[in-house]
Amino acid sequence: MLNFDWLSGVSAETAKWIFLIFFGLIGVLVVLIPNDYVFEGVPQGDRRWWNNLKLWAIGVLLILSFIYYIF
Amino acid sequence: MLAGIDYFIVIAYLIGILLLGYYFKRFNDSSEDYFLGGRSLPFWAIGMSIVVSDIGALDFVGISGQAYRYGISVGNFDWIGSVPAMLLAAFIFIPYFWKGGMYTIPEYLGRRYNNTVRTIASATWIIFFAVDLGVLFWASAVLLNVLMGWPIWISIMVTASVVGLYTYFGGITAVVMTDVVQMIIMFVGGFALVFLGLQAVGGWDVMAEKIVNLGPEYDRHFDLMQPSDAPTPYPWSGILFGLTFVMANAYMIGNQSIVQRCLTAKNEWHAKASMIFASSLKMLIPVLVLFPGLMAIILHPGLEDGDQALPMMIKNVLPPGLIGLMFSAFFAGLMSSVDSLLNSTATLFTKDIYQPYIKKDADDKHYLKVGKLTTLVLLLIGIATAPISSYYPGIYVAIQTFLSYFQGPIFAILLLGMFWKRTTQWGGLAGLSIGIVCSFILNTVEGIFTIEDPFLYVSWWSFVVGFVVTVTVSLMTSKHDDSRLKGLVYGA
Repeated sequence: MLNFDWLSGVSAETAKWIFLIFFGLIGVLVVLIPNDYVFEGVPQGDRRWWNNLKLWAIGVLLILSFIYYIF
Repeated sequence: MLAGIDYFIVIAYLIGILLLGYYFKRFNDSSEDYFLGGRSLPFWAIGMSIVVSDIGALDFVGISGQAYRYGISVGNFDWIGSVPAMLLAAFIFIPYFWKGGMYTIPEYLGRRYNNTVRTIASATWIIFFAVDLGVLFWASAVLLNVLMGWPIWISIMVTASVVGLYTYFGGITAVVMTDVVQMIIMFVGGFALVFLGLQAVGGWDVMAEKIVNLGPEYDRHFDLMQPSDAPTPYPWSGILFGLTFVMANAYMIGNQSIVQRCLTAKNEWHAKASMIFASSLKMLIPVLVLFPGLMAIILHPGLEDGDQALPMMIKNVLPPGLIGLMFSAFFAGLMSSVDSLLNSTATLFTKDIYQPYIKKDADDKHYLKVGKLTTLVLLLIGIATAPISSYYPGIYVAIQTFLSYFQGPIFAILLLGMFWKRTTQWGGLAGLSIGIVCSFILNTVEGIFTIEDPFLYVSWWSFVVGFVVTVTVSLMTSKHDDSRLKGLVYGA
């Protein structure tokens, strides 16, 4: 059990999809973060779309997913 | 190996870094300035600093060597082994630490649990950083000696003088701002090598085709996912459970030298943004350190020691001038690691040991002096202990293993402390102590694990033990008052 023998039947291809689903799940959690929380620290009048850290995080996750999809 | 132009570039780089770092002396009037940069730094500088301090000269060589032997699966450490953890840190942990005005991670543990937990965590990091300093000096100097023929003591003294001066006078602001320049140099040098290396092998597609056709042992060189029973240190199950769920989080959330940088941010948005920006840069690291290892398979097949891959590539692919730049990139990697160790250890010692136990109510200027003095003493210890490494060739690996003992248990108590109000001080103390003992047993008793170098599995199981013990003991002891948990637990 300590060696994760119970996962030896899971192929590398299936593992790749587990990872991609994991990234998708993180993406959903990021989208659910309240907007006010991600803009905390930026004055109300200065809040622009490029200050939205959710967009930054989704961008990073998309690139990561692409890398894992390709390789 | 170095031409005149290369020497010029290296010397100009060293002088430039020294002057830049020294410039920031004027911004250090208090201990908050020295340890937290007056909480005034922008996200882009912090993000670049996080990335460059995370990768040293030894990693350049080591990761290329691993790519030469095992293929791109070693890239998991900078991709899935960093990005999700950095997002978790950015959105959940860093804002809490930043809003709490903390200096150190053990300080959070002390407020959430008790001073014993704080002292154990802090002392662990101090010992690790102090020993690591000497080892890092020696191992990097040996590397520079092999690569460039520079005498070992010249490398050590040059690095110590430059880094020591700007870290002593400039504090963390100098550390972060010099890291920005170090990162640019590292990326320019690294990408130049990748670009010229790809031209030399005939492009990516040609290289991939040639490698895969070399034989069955190269079949999986371009697969990030290795089967869970594959005889590599990086099976996908270890990557998911050990690396992604535990080690990466422990590193990005519990490592003082990483988190301290985010605490220097000018506001909460910059603190969060610094980590996300760093994660985007982190995804480029495998291109710099892993691709040269793959190219070397074609250009220098049959190397007995994979760690020779990068030096061979530099020697045979780069023209004069760019070799000097690459050499500067090695120095940048070394200096950014050393300055982080110095400043973080000085912070841990001053804030977690000196202030609570040695002199409690001194004025702020006193703690500023102690921080500077600690930096100097550490530097001297690092130089003095560096030659010890020559008697113990495996010491670098031994120190990394020592660190892995603590990763799982510390992450377990950080996670429960932040998300579960019912976690008690005795639960945290028991989880940390028993988890560390469990790591030690798993690492030393032979025959438990079947894969080569099972550090990923050790991290996972010590985390599980730390987690279960913390929950069990917490449920058996009386819970903390809500007033004590305010600002320390999510939602409290």
